[in-house]
Amino acid sequence: MKKVSVSFTLNGDPVTAEVPVTWSLLKTLREYFELNGAKKGCGVGECGACTVIVDGDAVSSCLYPIPEIEGRSVTTIEGIASAEGELHPLQKAFIENNGVQCGYCTSGMLMSAKSLLDQNPDPTEDEIRTSIAGNFCRCTGYIQIVEAIGMAAETIK
Amino acid sequence: MIDYDYKKPESLKEVFSLLKEYGPKATLIAGGTDVMVKIRNTKKAPEVLISLRGLKDLRYIRKNNGYHIGALTTHRMLEQSDLVQTELSALHDGASEVGSVQIRNVATVGGNICNAAPSADTSGPLLALDATVVLEGPEGRRSVPIADFFTGTYRTVRKADEVLIEFQIPAETESFGSAYWKHSRRKAMELPLLGISVALKLSENKEISDARISLTVAAPTPIRAYKAEEFLKGKPLDDDVLREAGKIASSRDCCSLRDSLRCAAWYREKIIQVFVPRMARLAAERIRN
Amino acid sequence: MSEYLYVGKSIPRTIETDKVTGRAIYIDDLKRPGMLYGKILYSKYAHAKIKNIDKSKAEKLPGVRAILTGYDIPDVRVGFIKDQTVLKKDVVRQFRDEVAAVAAISPEIAEEALGLIKVEYEVLPTVFDPVEAMKEGAPLVHEVDARGRPLKSNILPLPWKFYAGDIETGRKASAYTVKDSVSTTWVNQCCMGPSGCVAEFDMNNNLTLYDQTNVIHLGKQRIMEYFAQIGLKGKKVRVVNAIVGGSFGTKLDTDIYEFICMQLALKTRKPVKILFSREEEFFALPPRQPAIFDIEQGCDKEGRLTFRKCEALLDNGAYTSWGATTPSVMMMPMSSLYRVPNVSFEATCVYTNNIYCQAMRGYGNPQANFAVETSMDTLAEEAGIDPAEFRLINRNQSGDETPQRLKITSCGLEECINSVKEKLDWDKKKKDKKKARGVGMASLIHVAGGARVYMSDGHGIMIKVDQNGCVDVFESGTDQGQGSPTVISQIVAEALGFKPEDISLTMGDTGLSLWDAGTHASRHTFMAGNAAIRCCEKVKKQILDMAVQYMPKLIKGGFKRKKRKDPDFVQPDLDYSLISNPEDMDIRDRMVFPKSDPDHPYFKMDVREIVRSGLHVGVGDSRVVVAEEFYDPPTEMLDREMKGNLSMTYAFGTTGVEVEVDEETGEVTILKLIAAHDVGKAINPTLLLGQVYGAVYTGVGYGLTEEIKVVNGRVMNPNFRDYKMLTAKDVIPITPVVVEPGDEAGPFGAKGIGEPGLVPTAPAIANAIYDAIGVRITDLPITPEKILTALNDKQ
Repeated sequence: MKKVSVSFTLNGDPVTAEVPVTWSLLKTLREYFELNGAKKGCGVGECGACTVIVDGDAVSSCLYPIPEIEGRSVTTIEGIASAEGELHPLQKAFIENNGVQCGYCTSGMLMSAKSLLDQNPDPTEDEIRTSIAGNFCRCTGYIQIVEAIGMAAETIK
Repeated sequence: MIDYDYKKPESLKEVFSLLKEYGPKATLIAGGTDVMVKIRNTKKAPEVLISLRGLKDLRYIRKNNGYHIGALTTHRMLEQSDLVQTELSALHDGASEVGSVQIRNVATVGGNICNAAPSADTSGPLLALDATVVLEGPEGRRSVPIADFFTGTYRTVRKADEVLIEFQIPAETESFGSAYWKHSRRKAMELPLLGISVALKLSENKEISDARISLTVAAPTPIRAYKAEEFLKGKPLDDDVLREAGKIASSRDCCSLRDSLRCAAWYREKIIQVFVPRMARLAAERIRN
Repeated sequence: MSEYLYVGKSIPRTIETDKVTGRAIYIDDLKRPGMLYGKILYSKYAHAKIKNIDKSKAEKLPGVRAILTGYDIPDVRVGFIKDQTVLKKDVVRQFRDEVAAVAAISPEIAEEALGLIKVEYEVLPTVFDPVEAMKEGAPLVHEVDARGRPLKSNILPLPWKFYAGDIETGRKASAYTVKDSVSTTWVNQCCMGPSGCVAEFDMNNNLTLYDQTNVIHLGKQRIMEYFAQIGLKGKKVRVVNAIVGGSFGTKLDTDIYEFICMQLALKTRKPVKILFSREEEFFALPPRQPAIFDIEQGCDKEGRLTFRKCEALLDNGAYTSWGATTPSVMMMPMSSLYRVPNVSFEATCVYTNNIYCQAMRGYGNPQANFAVETSMDTLAEEAGIDPAEFRLINRNQSGDETPQRLKITSCGLEECINSVKEKLDWDKKKKDKKKARGVGMASLIHVAGGARVYMSDGHGIMIKVDQNGCVDVFESGTDQGQGSPTVISQIVAEALGFKPEDISLTMGDTGLSLWDAGTHASRHTFMAGNAAIRCCEKVKKQILDMAVQYMPKLIKGGFKRKKRKDPDFVQPDLDYSLISNPEDMDIRDRMVFPKSDPDHPYFKMDVREIVRSGLHVGVGDSRVVVAEEFYDPPTEMLDREMKGNLSMTYAFGTTGVEVEVDEETGEVTILKLIAAHDVGKAINPTLLLGQVYGAVYTGVGYGLTEEIKVVNGRVMNPNFRDYKMLTAKDVIPITPVVVEPGDEAGPFGAKGIGEPGLVPTAPAIANAIYDAIGVRITDLPITPEKILTALNDKQ
């Protein structure tokens, strides 16, 4: 099995990983770095549970070939609270407004939302819904998630 | 077990030499959202994947004697481009409807077209906008009208040693309005059950001076509905005319609809009949003065 | 002091910090030392003889540790009526039949090994249509029953017959009657977290199963029964929940993969994990039970229901899980939704070579509700009565005993119907009808105070308070994301007089809990809440006993210390009789105080000080604070006639919908959806809304978009692309209405609300579509194709 060595920035830290070339970013995060936040809900980019941020954009990490990550900056759910453990306003709002139930979609949902707010601090409801349209959730009916993202946007402003 | 080599050339020249070296053992990969899914689903992979992501100068949207869109332009770039939204509206409609933000951030328009799925969301708009596909190979460049590009389901005229470089859309498109409708069961994360694109131009007396209609999932490849287009030319933009155009577009003269598990042929026919007029109206509204 | 400090407040979720930071450990994330990965080989045919299985090539693959087939493990039958084995030998009866299983050092190697197992089949005749399957001469799905007796028919021997009153009497009293045929299809629970488990045996063959089951104690019981038959009698079993990524019914049965995982672990002497792919999630997990109904109803001139007669046909698939028991729940709405004196309901379950089914949110209620509420609308029309008015005429009321002998205690149905009318502007919309727009409604009844489907419907709880004032609650349910750790903390904080942040819940571990029938049937808040309140009384009594003993000493000791520091300090003259009797004392918000003078300047003391005093007193006198309670409510099992008051209370609710239909495309837009629910009392309003919203969305999917497409027994859309679960872009504008009559039996008045939101959603949509365009779609989901076809037929 051919391997590849990639160096990139992971949640602010410079890292290097040597993994099979066929691995996805998701598998590398979970298996190599033991960051379990991103989830494999389908493995083919159809559920959003594996969403992470690469160079500012939300992507499906399950489809992201690991060789492509060289030199890029990756942010996962494990990297959005402050170093001191202070939760990101989105994380707080999800707890406050019941945006989490079973929690399986939550990491991906939060990363989609974070990418949105980083790029568009004052989104409309439709823009919020578009940003998480690729993140399926069976528990919440999305309503309290959409509200929570709106609440977090207000806090950040 | 799946194993492959992954090459990351940084120039076209390198791409060509890799293609030459590996020949049929290699597959080109751009955003990877089709290629990786195919590998997962079939559990089979080519020996070598040649990534085009290093060709950074193929990511652009320009207006300069017509419109030029680099093959590695992502759907998200098209979605966020004001130029595309206002002047190539159908393409904006199509690009914005692909998968999710996560997919649109990496999936490229070149990849979407080269994959040649009958349902590709940008294919219909590019057909209606009369785009030309620019291919480059070791022997140089050639241009192919997109209407001649698709030869079958997942098949195109692109030769194994060629790379899709750019889409060109004629300057006269500026005076067209265009729109794309993706008909689906829900509002996101969809493949179209049917895609209808209309681009049209009105004369001063509000007659349809030019029209292009394209359909996706209506045949083994994305297609133009030429007979319906011909019918529209020179006619007023009214309900009867548009209804008739929809009928022609949905007939066997223009398409070959199929029953599938996703949708019945009769319903696809109906959707063409309903949305050719609706999209024509929307396209007309979008014509800028 | 009737004002609650924590109950009724939207306390933010307590334990979800782990979920929003990516730290929560789901089965996917769980790793045990030396763990192997299991994969399952499924059948290639819907019905075939297994001629030969050659696993020699697969066994040689490096990294493979075990390959099991039905010929390698004891031939033991499992399941609700024991009609299948763990691995199938000799015959496969459906595509998801488990033929072989591999354990390997990586999931990839296990997967590759599956491809190397060669199975030879001989194809057998199939039957996929339940109507065909009932006919004489149809291919038999099973040749013999669980005891080896030959079978002559595909019809299951299940007792689903319910009669009350007399249909003919009802018919005679009817001024109007209607007959409808309706049907519902397979839908997937779509848990975002895939199914899986980790099985680990110690060297004495005692098992720890890390699992997602929502019935930990029943699950353990099933495993012990299985163990008894495979030579592991007497071995110990502990079932522990990982964080569960959604459940919605899928975790109610012990699934075949769980038994396979145990067998692989037993064989390899290593921990083994099986984790489903999304594809398996769609084709190898039992979905919601489909049903076909023929329903007939009548009413008199005044619109009062006279009878309801219904026959149901259920495609059982090839084996039997909980899907086959959904008629027991269908009987509830059939007999008891609205007042109806004469009822007949019969359900037939038939084997086919299709996938088999189990529970999903609402159990059999959504299916039956679609039948009843469709018929309610057609009958209202026949009688010339407004559908809302018709439902009000027949509404259930407090004090009713229904034909199934359900005792209706609190009942907010009238208020629910009326709020839907008001919020939808019903009367005006009915009068000034706009083209292609319409309104519709449907109501529900559901168990909301437990559901006695087993001899014990109890819930056991243990609570301890340690010397630091930490309250540890060991309760016996499963957190599937519904928010129980928060809600039960609120209840304990309120009942015990502590703060929610003092309370830690341990859930989902058979080793640390008493019996519970399971976190299902919308019963958890009601049962665990009631158990908690009763347990808190005991704990509180222990603390107050200590308080009486130690408070005077502590207070006097404090005075002494003060005096030492300040010689001028004069010890106040206090009436210690105020704190001499535990019954005169109370605890609230962590403070112990005399009831007669709650703000007494000296007699108000931090409860933690008292608990600490009780522990650190020396040999022989030390005490710990701990109590247990087993709450098993005074309800009844259904008797032979399928009658009995199986729940302490019942939930009612009404969904009202306004739709617009595009008559050219058949597409339906929901303009407004009112979800009015009698919840007894909202313990946590924000969390409660989360239950309603989520259930409504799933209900809308059930009504309009979702279906597992099964063609000749094969699931054709096993992915999120082709299975049309709704996205965040599919906006459903929901207006919730929370009706809180309070229920005497409920914890602080609460009823269960996990399932109700889903139940009446699809029929409300169907009724609104009828109002909009005059065509009635009677088979779910209501697709644009069906609407256009019906519109065409109408013209």
